[in-house]
Amino acid sequence: MKLFLIQLRSELKKLFARRRTYIGYGAFLVLELVILWVFHLDGPREEIAKILSDTGLEVEHYYSALTVTYWMIGFSMAMLGAIYLALVSGDIVAKESEDGNLRMVLARPISRLRVLTLKYLAVLIYTVTFVWFVGVSGYLMSSIALGWDGGLFVWNYDLKVFSFFPAATVGIGRLSLSLVFLSLSMFTLSSIGFAFSCLRIKPASATILALSVLFVDSVLQMLPFMAPYREHLLTFRMSNWIYVLENTVSWAKLAENYTFLVGLDLTLFVLGWMAFKVRDFKT
Amino acid sequence: MSETDPEVILEAVNLSKSFGGKPALQDLSFSVRRGEIFGLLGHNGAGKSTALGIFLGMVEPDGGEARIGGESVQRRRERALRQAGAIFEAPAFYDYLSGWENLKVLMSYSGGFDADAAQQVVEEVDLSDRVHSRVSSYSHGMRQRLALAQALLPEPRLLLLDEPTDGLDPEGIKWFRDFILRLRAERGITVLFNSHLLPEVEQMCDRVAIVRRGRKVYDGELAGIADDHVKLEIEADPAGQASACYRKLGGRELEEGRRVIFPEGTDPAEVARALIKAGVDLRKLIPVRRSLEDVYLEVIGCLDGEEGEQ
Repeated sequence: MKLFLIQLRSELKKLFARRRTYIGYGAFLVLELVILWVFHLDGPREEIAKILSDTGLEVEHYYSALTVTYWMIGFSMAMLGAIYLALVSGDIVAKESEDGNLRMVLARPISRLRVLTLKYLAVLIYTVTFVWFVGVSGYLMSSIALGWDGGLFVWNYDLKVFSFFPAATVGIGRLSLSLVFLSLSMFTLSSIGFAFSCLRIKPASATILALSVLFVDSVLQMLPFMAPYREHLLTFRMSNWIYVLENTVSWAKLAENYTFLVGLDLTLFVLGWMAFKVRDFKT
Repeated sequence: MSETDPEVILEAVNLSKSFGGKPALQDLSFSVRRGEIFGLLGHNGAGKSTALGIFLGMVEPDGGEARIGGESVQRRRERALRQAGAIFEAPAFYDYLSGWENLKVLMSYSGGFDADAAQQVVEEVDLSDRVHSRVSSYSHGMRQRLALAQALLPEPRLLLLDEPTDGLDPEGIKWFRDFILRLRAERGITVLFNSHLLPEVEQMCDRVAIVRRGRKVYDGELAGIADDHVKLEIEADPAGQASACYRKLGGRELEEGRRVIFPEGTDPAEVARALIKAGVDLRKLIPVRRSLEDVYLEVIGCLDGEEGEQ
C-alpha cells in the first residue's frame, strides 16, 4: 500500500508539474471574473432581481456571493470545465505513449493494470481539485465583490429546481455538498477521456472524441422528441448534482443516478484497460 | 522457475511475432549467459526492437517465450523484469522535470527510491552537476547517461540496450562503451546490445546473433568470426586464371576479386604457390583479418544471393 501511494504521488507530480495542467486553473479565474462582471451589469442584475421579487424573496439578501457562485459553477463547468477535463484525461495515457515515456515505465516491474489504475486515480484527483478550485475561487471572488453574507438562491428551469437557503452557513454547506456531487458527475467525463486515451490514438484525438460524446449527448438532450428519454442521457445524469441544492434532497434519486454513473465510470475504466492490455509498445 | 541452465540469464525460445500479417520475428531462439555481452545485429526493421520489446513484456509474441533469469516474461513479467534494466535509442524522459525527479518517478515503479544509491549512480555516470536541472536542457549524451542511471538504479543483473550509442558523438560513444565494459568487469552484469553499428558491437560483444527479416541467420562468438576463415587481399593477373585457382582451393571472391575468402586452415603460402604454379603474375598477397562487418555483409550477401537465384 505504501508503495502504491508513493507511485500515486509520482503520478500526481507528473500531472501537476505540466504547464497544461495549470492553464485550466488560470483560464477559470479569468472566466469567473468575466461572469462576475456580467452579474454586475444592469441587465442580468435586473433579470435576477425580477425573478427574486416575483417569488417574494428579498433581492438584497439573495443577490449574494453564494448565488453568484452557484451560477459561476454551473456556467463554467459546463463550458470550460468539460474542455479542460477532457484535455487532461485524454492526455493522461496517450501523451505518454506518444512521447515514449510509457516505454520507460513499462520496462519496469509493474503491471499494466497498476499503471492504468495510478493514472486513472490521478485523473480523478485532478477532477476533484479542479471542481473545488472553481467553487472555492468563485466564492472568494464573489465575496470580495458582494460580501460574504447573504442567502443562496438556486433556480434551474430544466431540472425544475427552485430553492433558497436564507442562512449563509447553510448555503455554504449545501454548495460544498453540491461540489462533491459535481465532482462525481465530472468523473464520468474524465472516464470517457481516459478510456479513449488508452487506445492507440493521438492525445488530441482522445480529447476530441470525449468532447464529441458529450456534445452529441447534449444535442440529443435538447431535441424535443428526445424528452421522454432524457433521463437515459449522460449529460442529463451528469447535471443531477443540482438536485443536492433542493430544499428537500431526494437521496434515493441521487443514489440511483450516481450508482449508474459510477458503474459507467468503472465500465469505461475496464474497457480502457482491456484496450491497453493488448497493445504492443514498440519504437 | 523453469528448468533452464542457471548460467543462462536471457533466453529467447522460438519467438514469433507478426504485425498486420507481416512477420517481424520468425522462430527466433538464442541465449545469453551470465556476464556475457551479446550483440543482436540486423538492418533497420530486421526485428531487433521487436525482440527487445518482447523481452520487456511490451510486445506480446504470437508464439514462443522470452525468459530472464529463468522467469518467463510472458507469464511472470514482474519477477522477470525485476532482474533487468533497459535503455532505448532515444530515451524519453519527462522533460519538464529535473533528472533527479525523473529518477524518483521511474524508481517508484521499481520498488522505491533510495537517494544515497541514486547519488552514487549519478556520480558514476558523471551527471552530478546537472542532475537537478530540467531534462529539457539536456544534450543527447546527458539523456543517455541519465538513461544509464535509471537502468542501473534497481541494481539489475541484465542490461537490455536498444541502439544506445545512436546519435552520440565519438567521445560519447567511447565513454558509453568503456562504461559498459567496466560494468561487466566490476559487477558481472550481462548485456544484450541491440545495434546496427557493427564497429561498436565488435568492440564490445563476446557473441553475436544476426537477424534478418525476423530470422536468425547467424549465432556465434566474435573470436570465432575473426579466426575461422582466411581472408586475403590479392592482386594477380590474369584475373580469370587467378579465379580458377581460388575456386580450386575453395576460395570465394569478394569486392570484384580484390579480396578472397578461403576455408578455415588455408595457408596463405599455399595460395601463393598455387597461383605462381598456374602461371599467374602475383603482385600482392596480404592476409586480412575478417571484421564483423565482413561477416555481416557476407551472411546477408549470401542470403540475398540465394534468394535472388530462387
